[in-house]
Amino acid sequence: MNAGASAVPLACEHLSIRYGRTRVLEDVSFTVPPGCVYALLGRNGAGKSSLVRCLIGQQRAGSGRAVLFGRDAWRDRAALMARVGLVPEEPDAPPELSPSRLLALTGRLYARWDEGATRERLRRFAIPMETPFARLSKGQKGAVQLALALGHAPELLILDDPTLGLDVVARDQVFREVIGELADRGATVLITTHDLAAIEGIADRVGMLRDGRLVLDESLEAVKERYALPLERIFADVTSPSAGGVP
Amino acid sequence: MTWTRSLHVDPAAAVPLWSQIEDGVRRLVASGTLAGGDSVPSVRDLARDLRVNPATVSKAYQSLTDAGVLEVRRGDGTYVSTRAPSLSRGQRSRALREAALRFASVAATFGVGRDEALDELRAAWGELTRGRKGEPS
Repeated sequence: MNAGASAVPLACEHLSIRYGRTRVLEDVSFTVPPGCVYALLGRNGAGKSSLVRCLIGQQRAGSGRAVLFGRDAWRDRAALMARVGLVPEEPDAPPELSPSRLLALTGRLYARWDEGATRERLRRFAIPMETPFARLSKGQKGAVQLALALGHAPELLILDDPTLGLDVVARDQVFREVIGELADRGATVLITTHDLAAIEGIADRVGMLRDGRLVLDESLEAVKERYALPLERIFADVTSPSAGGVP
Repeated sequence: MTWTRSLHVDPAAAVPLWSQIEDGVRRLVASGTLAGGDSVPSVRDLARDLRVNPATVSKAYQSLTDAGVLEVRRGDGTYVSTRAPSLSRGQRSRALREAALRFASVAATFGVGRDEALDELRAAWGELTRGRKGEPS
């Protein structure tokens, strides 16, 4: 067993971030249990991306902390890298590198790397392996990032608005792949998104961010049962800037 | 599997997804679209087809297995049960009574009278049996 294999994959403890006087995240606390698909919803600017940067150790929390598998996401970021896969909001691979080269380079970063499975995934996505990354379509870039993120069989997969700007076919492909991962390995997943339709089928739990505060954190079924409203309505009510809270 | 397309699930609906899947499979079995001994897709495949969380499909399959609609053959897969559901008489009548109560409540809250509700039930029964394999339509 890995040390801390049974630990909670992801927890935020009173996480706050300010940029100067601007409050980006304010006292955000939530927990994602093993095997859970947690959808973090929020409008643009609600603080989703800052939260993700804290989780992957790219940004230090102002106060509070992000904890992955029982370890501090900032302090232990190097060690945690092996257990976490990230699909960033903006594809950020070096533009001149082909998927083939990216695959070779990324593989070298991880002790546990499944070259065969990753090639197979890229083949399934019909990715041209020798085309420079910059010349791939938006959907192809996302697919490459996803394949690379899954290549080391991460225990925690973080998808930062993975369907942003993707067409329905590409979006479908991303989710089919994630569902396959869930079925095969029982990975834990955090998806940040503003696209409710895409996640309603696969999320177990939802959190909603508004102006840097977590205004909802519950199981999806409980939310629907309690409000008996389409999630979209709840989202609109809970996240609109003028909202007083949940109806 | 082509019949998975006839399993309509709506993630946005208030009814839990697993129970939508359970009802859908039940309907396919009741109508004879799925016959005893037919295999059903793996949890993984159905989850991908319907684009839902595998745990959701698992929950629906578990419930159908408990009810004797599906059976799991170890190392082989999941099949539509060839035997009559193994529910006790008491369990069966309890389940039926609950379902009837749900239906009656829906009808009553719509302001539908008993006769009209019974007509609908007969029509639904007819619709299911019409689709059965080997029976004249």
